[in-house]
Amino acid sequence: MTMTYTENSPSRPASGMGASRLAKLTIDLWLAVALVVITMAISSVKPQLLDTSNIAAMLKTFSIMSMMVLGLTWVIAAGKIDVSFMQIAALSNMICASCVGYGWGWAIAAGLATGLFVGLVNGWLVAAMRLPPLIVTISTAGICASAAAALGKGTVIRIADPGPVGSLLNTMLWGAVPVVVIPVLLIGALAWFMQERLAIGRYIYAMAQNEAAVRGVGVPVGKLTILLFGLSGLSSSIAGIMLAASLSSGQPMIGGPYLINGLTVVLLGGMMVRIGKPNILGTMTATLFLGVLFSGAALLGLPDYQRQIIQGVLLALGLAVATIASRHHRGKKKGH
Amino acid sequence: MTEPILTASGVSKRFGPVLALNDVAFHVERGEVHALLGINGAGKSTFIKILSGLIQKDTGSIRIAGQEVDFKAPEDAIHAGIATVQQHPELVSDMSGLDNIFLGRECAGRGLFGRVDRRAMEQRADALLARFSVPLDLSREVGDMSAVEREAVAILQALAADDIKVLILDEPTSTLTEIEREDLFALMNQLRSQGISIIYITHQLEEVFAIADSFSVFRGGTCIARMSVAEARSENISLAALMLGEAIGDIFPPKGAAEKLGEVVLKVEKLTRDGEFSNITFEARKGEILGIFGLVGSGCDELAKAIFGVTPAQSGRIAVNGAAISPKKPRHALDAGIFLVPGDRRTEGLALDRPALFNVPLANLRRAANGGWSLKGRQIRNDAKLLTDQVALSPPSLTTPASGFSGGNQQKIVLAKGLYTEADVYIFVEPTVGVDIGARAKIYALMRNLSEKAAVIVISSDCDEVFGVADRTIAMHKGRQAEAQAGGLFDRDGLLLAGIMGGSMQ
Amino acid sequence: MKRLRFLSSGYGRGMAFILLVLIVAAGFATAEPRFLTQASLSGIARHMAANGLAALGLTFVVIVRKFDLSLAGVAAFSAMSMGAVIAAGFPLTVAIAAGLLIGLIIGGISGFAISRAGFPDIVTTIAVGSVCSGLAFLYTGGRSIFQNFFQSGITNLNDARFLGVGVSLWFLVAAYAVAWLVMHKTRTGLAFYATGENPNAAAFSGISTSRYVALAYMLCAAFTVLAVLLILAESGNAETNKGANLMMPAYAGVFLGAAIMGGTSVISTFAGILLITMLLDGFSLMGVPYYYSDGVVSLILLLGVVAFSDIARTWIGGLKVLFGQSGTAGRASGGQV
Repeated sequence: MTMTYTENSPSRPASGMGASRLAKLTIDLWLAVALVVITMAISSVKPQLLDTSNIAAMLKTFSIMSMMVLGLTWVIAAGKIDVSFMQIAALSNMICASCVGYGWGWAIAAGLATGLFVGLVNGWLVAAMRLPPLIVTISTAGICASAAAALGKGTVIRIADPGPVGSLLNTMLWGAVPVVVIPVLLIGALAWFMQERLAIGRYIYAMAQNEAAVRGVGVPVGKLTILLFGLSGLSSSIAGIMLAASLSSGQPMIGGPYLINGLTVVLLGGMMVRIGKPNILGTMTATLFLGVLFSGAALLGLPDYQRQIIQGVLLALGLAVATIASRHHRGKKKGH
Repeated sequence: MTEPILTASGVSKRFGPVLALNDVAFHVERGEVHALLGINGAGKSTFIKILSGLIQKDTGSIRIAGQEVDFKAPEDAIHAGIATVQQHPELVSDMSGLDNIFLGRECAGRGLFGRVDRRAMEQRADALLARFSVPLDLSREVGDMSAVEREAVAILQALAADDIKVLILDEPTSTLTEIEREDLFALMNQLRSQGISIIYITHQLEEVFAIADSFSVFRGGTCIARMSVAEARSENISLAALMLGEAIGDIFPPKGAAEKLGEVVLKVEKLTRDGEFSNITFEARKGEILGIFGLVGSGCDELAKAIFGVTPAQSGRIAVNGAAISPKKPRHALDAGIFLVPGDRRTEGLALDRPALFNVPLANLRRAANGGWSLKGRQIRNDAKLLTDQVALSPPSLTTPASGFSGGNQQKIVLAKGLYTEADVYIFVEPTVGVDIGARAKIYALMRNLSEKAAVIVISSDCDEVFGVADRTIAMHKGRQAEAQAGGLFDRDGLLLAGIMGGSMQ
Repeated sequence: MKRLRFLSSGYGRGMAFILLVLIVAAGFATAEPRFLTQASLSGIARHMAANGLAALGLTFVVIVRKFDLSLAGVAAFSAMSMGAVIAAGFPLTVAIAAGLLIGLIIGGISGFAISRAGFPDIVTTIAVGSVCSGLAFLYTGGRSIFQNFFQSGITNLNDARFLGVGVSLWFLVAAYAVAWLVMHKTRTGLAFYATGENPNAAAFSGISTSRYVALAYMLCAAFTVLAVLLILAESGNAETNKGANLMMPAYAGVFLGAAIMGGTSVISTFAGILLITMLLDGFSLMGVPYYYSDGVVSLILLLGVVAFSDIARTWIGGLKVLFGQSGTAGRASGGQV
């Protein structure tokens, strides 16, 4: 007649010593292991992969891509979907480019404000108007894409001076690491802390499982939903600004390819650490993984469309694992 | 006598033209278990929603320990010391029991950005358990828990708020087995001894005598009676009569006459599905109702699903009217003339957003299309009208979405859907869960009528229901079949014992 | 209250829709007199044919309560495949058959993964769409295909007329008529709707739900192929970005129509796509640059679903209550956020 929760609390590390802990760590971080393996495999054929200039390019892509999907990770983890993030980035990118004339500070502020605003509108429509997230974000994506194109009358806006963001991207530490990696990793670490240690992290995952239960205990689920979409908009607008500086221009059509890239890294990332659930660490690892894979594919001379096919297959693979993992969970429940 | 912990007087609530509550006077004493009774539509759920802050009263006053209160939101009610456990508690199934209990209260600040303090949570859980000891491993995921364990988690979750004085339990036993019910009652007794008052809503009248100290009866939007259980017992008052407003006889129809017993329609032999049930053998005839009693986990629900082809059996034989079948999916069973009235009508029985006109023909589209491909609209409408009249659907609307009907009337729509298939075998699983006493009597009478043309099997974890409605009974225990000795019939206690212990009583 | 009840009934919604069409048409006609000319109207008919076919396919998927985001990929791959078959000298019918076969296979793959294997619909179709748009480059590496197009007679699908109206519109009307009959007058249609309403209850009614979900995806892909066929007929060549503009109007048509008519059906999609195509063509006639078109469609879709959402209706109810007492209805809806 006693409770036995203390000696078996869920967040406790795996019991047992050395070997089993290492085994669990490997299972949890298998994508990181795969990253190392694929890096070694490709670099053995094409040593250029690990040239300082190529590493710098990959890390730059990594920084932009991580920002693009950081917020998206939580939206999907909470059981919603956002297909507007890449067009929010495109719009922020164009707004930033067209405001550079007033100084980079204003341009950054305008870009961030745009992203946050569109994200909050998405969240409000989903939470308060109870519209399906896909329909909402597909519409705002269309509106953002059109607005981005309209800003440049259908063409690009050139930027003469890539400004402070440009120097973050282009200044290298040890010749291979862009300075921007540091703030990106800090933001990632902060998000990881929030997800793992703060109440909000629990609510995100609980929401995906049973929204009514979370609402029932007094958690402001509506506000949380708005916040998550807002964060998604904000983080992808950071990516849009980085792209403006990186390309020295505002590109209205830049969003398109990021949809599938973004979803792939989030779902691929969901295959590690918290199996079947998108999470920050997984997303960032998968971003790096995909970056190395694509860089390697380019070095090996694969044309663009083949990379696209590989990516679609990877996404399907991530889905399969996530589906099987959740079915395993359901099966366990049924079998009690 | 001290002042009641909760007093309501003159409470009224109007929804548009409907006066849902009319001048309700109600009180609960400190540390008592108070049953709240009433048929569907009597106003008890509206009243409970007002007490838990989900909706607001129009007029009247509610006082807690003498203090006037006015709830604008559920948080206000919890703050004032009233906690509610809903009929189907909402829990996060892939989180542990401990995490569920403190969901939303992980940290002192209660904000989104508070830091989760696991140690403090465990200390608070210790304090909670020092007051109520429950045999429960809180580290397990809620999804792996049984119904009573989930109920206990939900109750602990409700009690985790500070200083709860009144706990409202909305039909907690509807999904519990008889043994689990005892566990729940034990927990309720502990709460009572801690001085917590419990308002207990149930459709099971015998539970009132088993656990409650006193009860109130709602009828027509007002509280028509309040008395102690001892008083009711000594004066031999019929709760059902109080609820319905008229003296009613037995809710069960008369048993089938032996001379009407017809031919064997369904024959099941040595049916087995590993881990669920094994070697089940029985026959069902026209003219009688066969009852199968088994607790949750006894395999009787799985047996029904195997006969209906949802989860096929692995070995054994099923024959309908002498022809052997091995249903691999519901279509096969339906074609053979078997219809299952599923235990969970909301998820398995009905398209809730659609009216009876949509739901009734679904299980026999061939008939709806008159053997062809195109639907015969007028004919479907006529048939649906006829069948919903036959089951006495109320209100008799073909166009109101199923979600707009009470539990009992939703069950009647499922029944009309079954009648539309013109099956030879009807299997009812838990036919009256969440159905009030008036509608229950009607559904039992319909089963009796149905048994004249088809074999009727009633599978339930409610022993009295099985015993009351069936002519012949089987008990199932841990996947095995227990029959009365020497082909005789179970008496009520024998059936109960066989279902709980597995053996027949000697 | 009276007007509200009028709006919620089927006939009322139909009338509201016709009124909306007339207002939009009158608006464009006054702003731009060319809107009502023969050339403009037949343009609307042509565009409506392509958009309408894609939207019709999507309607099946939405009726079983799923989404399909592979439209653009399927369109690109099937456009290039049909182009390659035509360029290789085969007759048009072979090209159409090949296109339809590809569509059915792709739809079958998505449908199987979603209905049988239990994959989530949105991401699965995005993945399938991505692979398809990669495969579209297989034939020519992305260059346009135009060989044999004129000789094959494909352009007749665009140019030929019957009773003074382009054949593509007849094609559309026939497709909608058949779809309406099947979805609303046969047991197959009832099974589709039952699958969407409650798959579990449908399965217990002996309906093979996974078959209908898979079928919906196959139909969606097949109709997308037909839509792309009309686009190829209009432009006279095949390119990998053909059909990239099909998805937004299709979604807008289905969901705007459902919002106006109060539920997804073949008729509601027809209504939605008519409205969307009129707006798109009207704006392009008025000289609104091409890059606004997606934004306009998106904005209309968003406004439509917002205006006809349950919450907005609660607000209207709340405004009415305001005359009597305080707006409790509005607060109640806000409280549930």
